[in-house]
Amino acid sequence: MLDEALVSEVLQKARAGGADFAELYVERWQRRALRMLSGEVKEATSGIDYGGGLRLFYGLEVVYAYTNDLSPEGLLELVETLVRLRGSAGRVDEQGRGGLDFRKAAAQGLHAPRVPFSAKDKRYRLERLREAEAGAWLAPEIKQVQTQLLEWEQEVLVANSEGVWAEDRRVRTRLVVTAIAQGEGGMQTGTAGPGLSVGLELFDRYPPAEVGRRAAQQALVNLRARPAPAGSMPVVIGNGFGGVLFHEALGHLLETTSVARKTSVLADRLGEEVASPVVTYIDDGTTPHGFGSSEFDDEGRPTERTVLIEKGVLKSYMVDRWGSLLTGYRPTGSGRRQDYTFAPTSRMRNTFIAPSTTPKEKLFEGVEFGLYAADMGGGQVRPGSGEYNFAVKEGYIIRHGRIEEPVRGAILVGKGPESIRRIVAVSDDLETGPGMCGSLSGSLPVEVGQPHLLISEIVVGGQA
Amino acid sequence: MTFEEARDYLLQKARAMGLEVEVLATEHRELSVRAREGRVEEITQARQGGIGLRVVEGGRTGYAYTEELSPAALDWALEEARENARLQAEAGGFLPQGGPLGQHDLLGEGLSAPLEEKRQKALALEAELRAHPQVAQVGMGGYTERESRTLLASTQGVAGAFRTGYAVLGVSAVMRQGESLKQGWELDFSREFHALEPGRTAQAFLQRTGRLLGARPLKTGRYRAYLEPRAFGPMLVFLGWFMLSAKNVLEGKSPLAGRLGQKVASDLFTLVDDPTLPGGLASRPFDAEGTEARRTVLIEQGVLRTFAHNSETAHRMQTRSTGHASRSYNGVLGVAPSNLLVEPGSGVRLEQGVIIAEVMGLHAGANPISGDFSLQALGLWVEGGEVAYPVENFAVSGNFLELLAQISALGSELEWQPTMAGAVGTPLVEVAELSFAGA
Repeated sequence: MLDEALVSEVLQKARAGGADFAELYVERWQRRALRMLSGEVKEATSGIDYGGGLRLFYGLEVVYAYTNDLSPEGLLELVETLVRLRGSAGRVDEQGRGGLDFRKAAAQGLHAPRVPFSAKDKRYRLERLREAEAGAWLAPEIKQVQTQLLEWEQEVLVANSEGVWAEDRRVRTRLVVTAIAQGEGGMQTGTAGPGLSVGLELFDRYPPAEVGRRAAQQALVNLRARPAPAGSMPVVIGNGFGGVLFHEALGHLLETTSVARKTSVLADRLGEEVASPVVTYIDDGTTPHGFGSSEFDDEGRPTERTVLIEKGVLKSYMVDRWGSLLTGYRPTGSGRRQDYTFAPTSRMRNTFIAPSTTPKEKLFEGVEFGLYAADMGGGQVRPGSGEYNFAVKEGYIIRHGRIEEPVRGAILVGKGPESIRRIVAVSDDLETGPGMCGSLSGSLPVEVGQPHLLISEIVVGGQA
Repeated sequence: MTFEEARDYLLQKARAMGLEVEVLATEHRELSVRAREGRVEEITQARQGGIGLRVVEGGRTGYAYTEELSPAALDWALEEARENARLQAEAGGFLPQGGPLGQHDLLGEGLSAPLEEKRQKALALEAELRAHPQVAQVGMGGYTERESRTLLASTQGVAGAFRTGYAVLGVSAVMRQGESLKQGWELDFSREFHALEPGRTAQAFLQRTGRLLGARPLKTGRYRAYLEPRAFGPMLVFLGWFMLSAKNVLEGKSPLAGRLGQKVASDLFTLVDDPTLPGGLASRPFDAEGTEARRTVLIEQGVLRTFAHNSETAHRMQTRSTGHASRSYNGVLGVAPSNLLVEPGSGVRLEQGVIIAEVMGLHAGANPISGDFSLQALGLWVEGGEVAYPVENFAVSGNFLELLAQISALGSELEWQPTMAGAVGTPLVEVAELSFAGA
């Protein structure tokens, strides 16, 4: 994407200005989005994002600058701006002379699309959206169906003064269907939104009509659902996107972004038992075609599979470069950012709870009265207190071990470390689902996953 | 190419192709300084922006944008926008006719101070917090300023520009009292760098977060609720604004559809959007289509007076645009508030119930289509007319329209907060009864 001599000059200039370490990140995205509502295209948009960020370390101090101007003049001005900002003019590092010897690494195509961005025309995409919509017109109560196709292709180059030169190409596709049902229960919604690091072959893995049907079924369930009960009770959480519980209650607490500043309640706890022994928690950036996968992270380091918690014992944090400098922990290829307008921080990739051999039915057996949270929405956490919440998109009452009537409007609230200790059983049916995760370095595609699991007690927010 | 050159290039090309085009370009500048343990930890400086196109051809609308301002990228964007327009089945789209709107500067010298003074404010804020015995960790203390310049032009004659911006002191930190931990945040915004005071921001943080330490569980039940601006403001924007947007009304997503002229809230409730507010954080001379700014009363003493419109929704509902068109260069035409405010009342007298200091997880726990919400909250238990103790680990649920109808008193002072799309100002809101789930 950029001339090697220019990149070398920029990084060397930064070193000559006194920085211990310099990193240049540049990217070019092509994005497309189509939104259709009840048979009509409402919005069609396309775009190019193009820019770069330069990050310099002076010990533990970091300066970052970004720009859309990637011309030689623009980049050289960027270095000067940074050196000036730091106020470090005058100190010259002799090592900053001469050319850099880059170790070039290109992506192997592990997550490469089979049907790339440019392979099919827009009519083809529209037809798939129409199929998704047709799948959702399940019953007269369905009043509205919205379908959206989001596609993006990102080219990335990361080069640094230690000789890293990594180029990656990331293609992601997501289909989102929202169905609105109306009846005596008012207006209720259901959604389904598969997404992967693939091209348009997403439609082969998730037939659009099937995705539409799932969204509509959920809207219909919510239409006949009663308001959820309120209070503390046992909860069985469904597999797949149910993993968002752990993403909030546990994952964010294990990023060095909060661990290094000790604003995580799980800081300084390596080797300790922090969760129930039935819990093994893994963050894997290498999952083939995972929504949160890439070959390199946004610091140019190969991604890896990181076992965070093994049988309840804390084994590793998710570590980026800065986090590693602050804590001394080994970097785990977890430096991620939304785009060039953010400096990277430690972030999750594809994070899941490992399955056991227990069949899911066993989890319900002992529950006299509780909630089955079959599908989840998003959530939020404060790592410093561990307080988190997440919403139930599709829920049912469990009575005498049986799944009974549907309930809506439930959220689960708690404190991360407590809830994790209250997991009493995990089943054998691991699934994953895609989502967008927002944090310090922006909004990122991630996967969350888990088998069905049983929490002995948690606060359910519903109607008192 | 500069943004002006790119704008002119696109308009000229579009005219030659016989296309109607609206060009919206935004250029941002940002500076931020973060302090930690008495040192500047991170400085970020940026210049960034892009140019977005709305193309209408035969009544069909398409969009495209680019951050790369080369002729090849601009040509690609124009072609993509036209191709996107051709996908639309439904005709009837148009670009509003307009004229010169002038060049406006809403920022002036507000952010002009030497970098050293900005560093000092960031360091002073962090130092003051760190010195407090109950502050366990300061995650971030810092100063940020943002400035933007927006250019708007169309083949239908619209032409204008404005510059705006703000400075902000912000902190996120953890406080401890025995075993009790609370992570809180504070943001203090101003159009003037010199109006920011690190001491005031630090004290506000300590007061707001410190009062929640030592919280007890809340018993499940139905109680009177006192919603502080930090809780009510985001709910109003996420739920209320969504329902008031004519775009959502037209798409069949608003529970307020068909209720113009009807009572939709308590008599005490008057909701206004005012882009002309002097010094308002989200004031603007015109909207994203060039409609000149004016004050709009959306709900007056509980009665729904108007939805919020851009020219497209207004045309389809046979009314006038209220000047609420929104579009970022990389987005599509929408409807957004500027300075959205609830008119203050005569004051709230505490009796018994729960003060809701903050709600969390709005994006997941609130459904703007049904109005139903179930949200994690932080707060204080009130008894005998005063605050008794803080409460935690509970959720508050209800329906937003029912909540509006049940408003029984409003505080006499507004507190302003920035939101994703504008700014929101609300007083303390008392609601007769809400459902709380806890222990």
